[in-house]
Amino acid sequence: MSLERFSESRPLTLGVELELQIVNTQDYDLSPQAADLLRLLQGVKLPGEVKPEMTRSMIELSTDVCSSHAEVLAQLREIRDALVGAARRLEIGLCGGGTHPFQQWKHQRIYDAPRFHHLSGLYGYLAQQFTIFGQHVHIGCPGGDAALQLLHGMSRFIPHAIALAASSPFVQGADTGFDSARLNSVFAFPLSGRAPFVETWDDFGVFFDKMARTGVIASMKDFYWDIRPKPEYGTIEVRVLDTPLTVEKAAALAAYLQCLGRWLRVERPFRAHEDDYLVYTFNRFQACRFGVRGEVVDPGSGERMSLRDSILKSFEAIELHAMELQAEDAIRLLRTELLGDGNDAGWLRQRQAEEPLLNELVHQQTQRWAGGG
Amino acid sequence: MDWTSLLPAGALAPPSDGLLALAAVLVLGALGGELIARLSRLPRVAGYTLAGWLVVLFGQPVAVPLAGGVRLVVDLALALVLFELGCQLRLRWLLRNPALLATSLLEAVLAAAAVYAALRAFGLGAELAASCAVLAMPASAAVAGSVADEWRADGQVTLRMKHLTALNTLYAVVAIVLLKGWLLANGARPDWLMAMRELVLALASALMLAALLAAAVALVASRLDLRQQGAMLLLLGLVLLALGLSRWLQASALLVPLLAGILLRNSTERPWVWPRHFGSAGGLLVLLLFVIVGASWSPALLAGGFAAGALLIAVRGLAKTAVVTLLSRWSHLSWRQGAALGVSLLPLSATPLVLVSELLRVEPQLGAQLLPVLLSAVFVVELLGPLAVQLALRWAGELPEGDSR
Repeated sequence: MSLERFSESRPLTLGVELELQIVNTQDYDLSPQAADLLRLLQGVKLPGEVKPEMTRSMIELSTDVCSSHAEVLAQLREIRDALVGAARRLEIGLCGGGTHPFQQWKHQRIYDAPRFHHLSGLYGYLAQQFTIFGQHVHIGCPGGDAALQLLHGMSRFIPHAIALAASSPFVQGADTGFDSARLNSVFAFPLSGRAPFVETWDDFGVFFDKMARTGVIASMKDFYWDIRPKPEYGTIEVRVLDTPLTVEKAAALAAYLQCLGRWLRVERPFRAHEDDYLVYTFNRFQACRFGVRGEVVDPGSGERMSLRDSILKSFEAIELHAMELQAEDAIRLLRTELLGDGNDAGWLRQRQAEEPLLNELVHQQTQRWAGGG
Repeated sequence: MDWTSLLPAGALAPPSDGLLALAAVLVLGALGGELIARLSRLPRVAGYTLAGWLVVLFGQPVAVPLAGGVRLVVDLALALVLFELGCQLRLRWLLRNPALLATSLLEAVLAAAAVYAALRAFGLGAELAASCAVLAMPASAAVAGSVADEWRADGQVTLRMKHLTALNTLYAVVAIVLLKGWLLANGARPDWLMAMRELVLALASALMLAALLAAAVALVASRLDLRQQGAMLLLLGLVLLALGLSRWLQASALLVPLLAGILLRNSTERPWVWPRHFGSAGGLLVLLLFVIVGASWSPALLAGGFAAGALLIAVRGLAKTAVVTLLSRWSHLSWRQGAALGVSLLPLSATPLVLVSELLRVEPQLGAQLLPVLLSAVFVVELLGPLAVQLALRWAGELPEGDSR
């Protein structure tokens, strides 16, 4: 199978996918009830799509193609409200967060669909351990070459995105010390990491053919990269975000990436280079481990600074573009949180310090997701 | 020389019967459960029940109405089970999904009505048929809880099975009070005002004790980690205390723990986390409960009531399954889940034994006719019931792959 043509899409349009946790309301452990939720939503007219995920305690929602922060937010709220309403009638809870704080992966049950059973067979326990919850943001690109340019430019801001979105400090009942422990599970997959440094769609096609010939991959779906081109949609897909605890945060993160995209596209502030990736895994680790308190190295200048400062600097850089895209509310929300708890991981740790029972923490996450708390 | 004379006097005399019997029951029950778990994919409680059968075959059956130590064990074990069950009942769900409440009321009432009609047609008297109908109303809290926990069942059917079981147990306790009023009238016009007063009194006293128990548990939970053994034993003690007080106040031994659990669950949003059946001490009591229920039949009882008992179980099972299945779409279940939920209500176990014991303390003369039918019914379903729950939950897709315990 050779690489498909890159469909064109309107530049900087947005699409958001969120993977959610389904929990019971007894002890707030994960509960395998995705099929019941989906049945209740049958025939309900919603923007976007709600569909099953790998294990039966996850559900994925996505927006349509949107052009602005306000549109993303409105669609996410509408889908969230419908889901929460359905969950109430089933006495289950829904929440964000990149990991479930205390679920045991060996108890997870694979959703009954051929693709999921195939993946489960291939990856074994990794598939169950992949009970993690992420936000994916699609950004529209006018063509394959533009997509790859945006991808490599955006790579410098992957640590920023990770740190802002991090919401997975707890795994299997323990504080991991990481702000985003979820990404550690992604690294276990053989084809995770970064895309190769090629700048044209033709060159990417050559790389893809070589990989396909080895038999290691069959389609773009087999790459678990941090950012990957999605030729069928005409987008690049940023995949490093933990699912935030609220839809407001999810919409704001999407808008941040959109503003960065516009800045990179219009101002061309730097030229992407293979050497950018020399510091990539170091910066990425700092962001996962320490969140906004991490220290990153600027690949261009070699300067070291805290991620918090680097993110604030990026807010300044994109200010005009945020105005142009009417995303100022989004950036304001991110800035307020950055200077407060830092990120959702900070919020979770703060709550857990007051309330050691992790079951109660998940309860508060469900309230926060539903729009209260 | 007679060397036994060296031993202290009485050393070779058997120890008290009670201790030996208890030891035998424990060993048999534990072995039975373990054998079932090793050799088959059946629920462990089936093994406990079989151990009860052995007690009947090689010893003697448990006497009903329950009395003495046996009554204490049954009351306490059932109290734990009902308390746990009550702790999982969300009243707000019944408001958010009224179809579920309607399903609950209809399955309980229509199953009782169907049993009454069938037993009347079979030739039983009105009092007898009505007593059987009320006693057959509850599903089994012990079976539902044990099987679901043993296999880590999770999903809508599991959750609703627990809700419907808690509710039909509640209805049965209420119905028994009204039934007593009707039976006491002895064919004359029953004094319904009197019966209602009895009911209000029974509910009020149970509610008061339940509130005390719930408040005490909440207090313990706010100070101690309920997952610790020490805190568990304290909880066990509190339930025992509440049970003692309810006997003293003549409140229902079933109602107090069930209501306490319901109050606890619905008075706070905070999750309650404790080991199932109150840890190992509670597990022991639940084992004994199943052995005792398993030992409550005798060949003579079966000879007297097997046909009527089997009829009761069949009609009750059909009625419950039909109602729950028919209402499944309305309450947001699939047909398949609805049918599974209906089947999961088949078990009938310790609850009617406690109820009938309460009833016979008021109307002892009813026992001779009532017990053969009721105990035959329990006998018929005591192995079938856990199996039905297991199959129903598997069919609904709520047991883990490979059914690992």
